[in-house]
Amino acid sequence: MDNFEPKIVAFTCNWCSYAGADKAGMMKLKYSDDVKLIRVMCSGRIDPQFVMDAFREGADGVMILGCHPGDCHYRTGNVKALKRYKLLRKTLVQFGINDKRLKLDWVAAGEAELFQQVVNEMAETVKELGPLHLTGNVEQGGK
Amino acid sequence: MTVEKPKIALFLCECSTNISNFIDLPAVADWAESTEDFCFVEVSNLLCSPDGKKYFAEILMKHKPDGIIVAACSPKLHEKTFQDVAEEVGINMSRVQMANIREDVSWVTKDKTKANEKAKAMIKAALRRVILAENLEKVTMEVISDILIIGGGIAGIEAAIIASKAGRKVYLIEKDISLGGSVIKIEEVAPNMECAPCLLAPRLSEVRDDPNITVLTNSEITDVLGFYGNFLVKVRKKARYVEETCIGCEACFDVCPVTLKNEFHLGLGNRKAIYTLFPGSVPAAAVIDKEHCKHFIDNSCDACVSACPFGSINFNEKDEELEINVGAIVIATGTKSGDVSKFDELGYGKIDNVYTLPEFERIACSNGPSGSKILLKNGEKPSSVAVIHCAGSLREDGIPYCSGICCFGASKVGELVRKQIPEAKVLNIYNDLVFVGPKINAFYRKQIEEGTRFIKCYDLKTIQVKEKGDKITIEGEGFSQIEADMVVLSTGLEPASGTKELADLLNIDLRKDGFFKADHALLNQTGSTLEGIYIAGCSAGPCNVATSVTRARSAVGDIISKLIPGREIELEILTSVIDEEKCGGCKLCISVCPYKAIIFDDEKNISIVTEAICRGCGTCVASCPSGAAKAKHFTDDQIYAEIGGLLYG
Amino acid sequence: MAKPKVAFYWCASCGGCEEAVVDLAEKILDVVAAVDIILWPVALDFKYKGIKAMEDGSIAVSFINGAIRTEEQKEMAKLLRKKSGLVVAFGSCSSLGGIPALANLTSKKKIFDRSYLNSPTVVNPDGVVPKTRSIVDGYELTLPEFFETVYKLDDVIDVDYYLPGCPPTPELIANAVNAILEAKLPPKGAILSPDKSLCKSCDRNESKPEDVAIAEIKRVIDIELDPEKCFLAQGIICMGPATRDGCGASCINGNMPCTGCFGPTDSCKDQGAKMIGTLGAILEGEEEEAIDKVIEGLVDPAGTFYRYGLSASMLGSARKEAKDE
Repeated sequence: MDNFEPKIVAFTCNWCSYAGADKAGMMKLKYSDDVKLIRVMCSGRIDPQFVMDAFREGADGVMILGCHPGDCHYRTGNVKALKRYKLLRKTLVQFGINDKRLKLDWVAAGEAELFQQVVNEMAETVKELGPLHLTGNVEQGGK
Repeated sequence: MTVEKPKIALFLCECSTNISNFIDLPAVADWAESTEDFCFVEVSNLLCSPDGKKYFAEILMKHKPDGIIVAACSPKLHEKTFQDVAEEVGINMSRVQMANIREDVSWVTKDKTKANEKAKAMIKAALRRVILAENLEKVTMEVISDILIIGGGIAGIEAAIIASKAGRKVYLIEKDISLGGSVIKIEEVAPNMECAPCLLAPRLSEVRDDPNITVLTNSEITDVLGFYGNFLVKVRKKARYVEETCIGCEACFDVCPVTLKNEFHLGLGNRKAIYTLFPGSVPAAAVIDKEHCKHFIDNSCDACVSACPFGSINFNEKDEELEINVGAIVIATGTKSGDVSKFDELGYGKIDNVYTLPEFERIACSNGPSGSKILLKNGEKPSSVAVIHCAGSLREDGIPYCSGICCFGASKVGELVRKQIPEAKVLNIYNDLVFVGPKINAFYRKQIEEGTRFIKCYDLKTIQVKEKGDKITIEGEGFSQIEADMVVLSTGLEPASGTKELADLLNIDLRKDGFFKADHALLNQTGSTLEGIYIAGCSAGPCNVATSVTRARSAVGDIISKLIPGREIELEILTSVIDEEKCGGCKLCISVCPYKAIIFDDEKNISIVTEAICRGCGTCVASCPSGAAKAKHFTDDQIYAEIGGLLYG
Repeated sequence: MAKPKVAFYWCASCGGCEEAVVDLAEKILDVVAAVDIILWPVALDFKYKGIKAMEDGSIAVSFINGAIRTEEQKEMAKLLRKKSGLVVAFGSCSSLGGIPALANLTSKKKIFDRSYLNSPTVVNPDGVVPKTRSIVDGYELTLPEFFETVYKLDDVIDVDYYLPGCPPTPELIANAVNAILEAKLPPKGAILSPDKSLCKSCDRNESKPEDVAIAEIKRVIDIELDPEKCFLAQGIICMGPATRDGCGASCINGNMPCTGCFGPTDSCKDQGAKMIGTLGAILEGEEEEAIDKVIEGLVDPAGTFYRYGLSASMLGSARKEAKDE
């Protein structure tokens, strides 16, 4: 398990969290290479299907990173993301997927250190959980 | 039929050594060649430089690729740079896909091997995504350069004048029956004790006489559609029942049998059912208060008709519904004084001679209810006046914030009192004092020198205002009991009534304190959260006259620098669209849209995105339960492709 | 000319799909007149070996309902595939996994323990549970293997068309049969029901406000249901928006919300995820606590969003080994 390199997809919004990741880059803050970013315009664009698809396609963890509440570039997209995330997590648990495998957080454009921190924490969490096996059946598969 | 494999060009940028030091680009290039997915693979350097761009363009012209991947820096930095070059050589901007191997890989990855692998995964993701690119089209529209201003106080008036000077047609909407706002109710503006009506009067007549400015008083906004450069505003102009021929001679006032509280005097004086707000109001015409006029109640009176020398009374006037097309909207709706009647211990509304600061200002005014004389209810002059700062403020059950300007107003009480009653004692009870800036602070010092005493109270919530015979006593933590003839409560400032409703109509955000939220608290204080809608005066938060006016000038300055007649504006390219064939008409996308960009077509039973209003957040797409909504350039398929590419490498 | 041969078969199903065929009423006589039914276990007696003996591809069309959960069902599905020109997945279970697929939210062991050992009505002192092989009096008895996972039909065989519904409506069945008889079929893989959301044909859609928002999620037992108002506007989760049209809104006409048996439209990959996306955006509440409170009212999200679609869901179908289990 020590050699386990989790695959983590992080959906980021163009205006805050993706910009925060850019800032982390500019500051040369190293973070886990297990985490790979997908940029969308707003966290409100993140369709729960994308999260499910990422898990199905082999992700061991998925992150949704948006602007802080009140700071959404599109007014309230992040709040919608939060609500969808809450519903989604509750559902994933029934699928036998540990809810720690899905994480939502807020990262502002300037919060490079925070970006580094949340991403590294997620990589650690997922590493501890181990790989996700989905078989279509709860007991056999994910944990 | 064989489908031709799309031609994809891959540029790997060294970015000086920013990328090449951490990622083995030649190895990545070899790998890319080996996949046979690309028609062109090359490691180049400084692709964003003039030479780099030239080279980029040459390669594009030579290979005419269907898709271009630039593995380099963040798309937020140079996506547009390369898109523009692509467009110049006739390739649609959608075909350019950045793989951010600098910010997301070379600068943040410790292990070089892993950096290589991550870069490859990102290139794969970009490849899968760019294949699915659909052309994007730039859409432009000629702007409307007219401006609508909501609120006819000093800020709205200033905005109207400035905008008109720039040659713009201006609509100035005021819900009250005259322009003037809060400042017209003040006698003198501190610190220089300038005559407020004198500041306003010339501006009022300027607005009145300016053919570029249409003043609509007694009017309210009922709906707002559209977007920056093209708003359609619906206005209800309520009937006055007095025609414009009225010059405000007041002949009808004497004959009107109905006496009512005068709102202009904050209820301290009286007016009739036919009235003007103040002498010299703009417009000059009086208004009939339909709710209280005997003619409208039981048809029992038409005294004003015969009293009017101009034949201006017209009981048959109707409300008018107007539609106004403008390019920008300035909100200058101001503030209102906080309500202190709910705090029993302050005695307001229960004890005679306890007034709010705005009420005191009215009493002290030359056109005030007592004719500029500061008098007690019994007609005598007060020998002592106590002022309580932060009354109802800085507490969760009142106004939780500091309004920032009331201390200044509260310290003016002494100045006004001494002017009329030099021997009167004035005492200000405070917990915090806010006198920012040299002039304002000097004004405060001057008050102390001239006799106002400032007494600290350790906890304003302990203050008790009580009646004791003819006198009023004030107790509180940190000072011994004080006796005074008159108490002035320095109330904080709240958003004007109807602020929330207006924000909903305009689809803009409010701050936690209820005032309009600025686009940016530091960089753009007079822009609202929606492009084309501006906030001036106290609608953007409590402020003094100078700031109010400056905000108005700032807002209009921004408008006239952008809304140039004849200029085209580029509309958002990355909008959402709803596929008519797929839409089930479930309407669930409509309320989800933060910009009211989706409307329901009752005939076709489907939802439609007004692309000119859509800003492309894509939340309707995530919401659409039948998959009919599509986010341009961020389609479901493109994102699935990216997920697959990242995970499978 | 010989009449086309038609087979009806049932796998893990409740029998409702068979009822649906009978519900064709007098139209069934036209069907019987037009075709030659060579297999219909629920109604007529045929021998499997008779089917095995048939030439490959000699059955014009096999309608297979029910999910696949035992070795026998899988074997029969494969056999019918081999012998048939067309295979139609008939009903929700066959198309999407259906109600039986909810079993995928637990395990075979738990189900067996409950059914054969722990249920209060079970008397089984020796703890006998079904086995694929047992020796009784020196004879070997066999039972088909019971799979760990419930599959939809196209997990085990190639399927030509899908007739969704729990059960499909007689109208859709008649249309499908006619289309086959008249050779007017859409491209292979099509779902034989309109590709629109149910709201399109729901009479209550007009009563749905444009700013529908749910402050509290209610269950049908919680309130007196308004017989005319959109269920979502009443706080009841109705899967209609995320469900394919074609049922004639029969549940809604019976004053019950749609539970999603027709599955998603073509443009959606996952009915449940899509409903989460839709519902999430219209729940009231801005702060986490308020949102949690609203969501608390949703007792069984997987059972609500995936009542019929677990085997077809993105996560439920993430298995590559199905066809070879």
